[in-house]
Amino acid sequence: MIDRILEMFATVAQEPHGSIFTVFFIGFVFGVVVQYTRVDKFEKIAGFAMLKDTVVPKMLFLAIGLASIGLYYMIEAGYAHYHVKPIMLGGLIIGGTIFGIAMAIMGKCPGTGPISIAEGRIDVLVGAIGGVFGGLVFTVYYDQFKMIMGESLGKTTLVDIFEGNESLVVLVFGIALIVIALVIPLRQELDEADLKQLDE
Amino acid sequence: MLRRIPWWLGGVLMALLLLFTFSIFGAGRPFGASTYVPYFSGILFNLDPEKYPYLKEVHNAGAWEGVMLLGALFGGFLTSVFVTKSFRITIMPTGWKKYKNNSIKSRLVWSFVSGFFLIIGARLAGGCTSGHFLSGMSQTAISSMIFGGVVLVSLIVTGKIFYKSEAQDD
Repeated sequence: MIDRILEMFATVAQEPHGSIFTVFFIGFVFGVVVQYTRVDKFEKIAGFAMLKDTVVPKMLFLAIGLASIGLYYMIEAGYAHYHVKPIMLGGLIIGGTIFGIAMAIMGKCPGTGPISIAEGRIDVLVGAIGGVFGGLVFTVYYDQFKMIMGESLGKTTLVDIFEGNESLVVLVFGIALIVIALVIPLRQELDEADLKQLDE
Repeated sequence: MLRRIPWWLGGVLMALLLLFTFSIFGAGRPFGASTYVPYFSGILFNLDPEKYPYLKEVHNAGAWEGVMLLGALFGGFLTSVFVTKSFRITIMPTGWKKYKNNSIKSRLVWSFVSGFFLIIGARLAGGCTSGHFLSGMSQTAISSMIFGGVVLVSLIVTGKIFYKSEAQDD
């Protein structure tokens, strides 16, 4: 197992996607932002599922709105590229449905879960063990899962569809998402146990 | 020191992080956070990538996310101990007690089961909140918008059915 963990670092070092330090740094900042905004809390994602907390959708839509505009101009300037995931209807619809159900019950997604474990949540650690078994089953029965996922219908983006008006469509898309983020009423479901900790 | 940052500051920082990750100065790739799970399953169960084509497919992305995850654990841990002061060992989320039940067994069983299906769902769809929502929708990808719409509906319907609408007092 040790050799495969070392191989993980070697793979990242060989790949042209940032040095080990850069990749670690990206994760570090992600961990700080998720923890500092407290969106790793059960009350944030499960709270959103119950429509009692809107911090997660507000933050997500704002981030996507800003990033979509920034990314488009960065690509135009040659500083980035699109890496789009294919449209595979079976996978997206069945996978998305299962993912949404699981996320509401777990109260975490695969990105925020580890950060909750880092702040001492044992229930999420048990969930992560479940996740490792999920990864095992998916890997072993990949051929069967591939049949559910279906054929790829291409890697279409809005930018492709509105060829000729690319910058306009990106601006409309980005600004619409930013407006959505602003108009969703702010509701917060707080964890009393956390607030108590702050008073001390 | 500020113990929490507001959602808008979190959104702005997350957008900057995404742009840095996409840029050729950063990683030159999207941000993702669910491919590392099957990658780690392969390591933990010592599966041979020669026998399992999926492990070969996720080899590079899984390694990238694995290193990223170590950074995230480290960043999350330090922030929870020194800044948000939220670090403590707990089993039961306050919200579960309030809107579901008081049983530790129930929480742990549901955690395991939902953790299992969270990864099955994400791998079927080819991404999660990070890969599809954040990275995919920032690229105006149609696949990610389909995923986003389906997840929103499924999340809110589950929230309505699975939890009690009013907090219980005990």
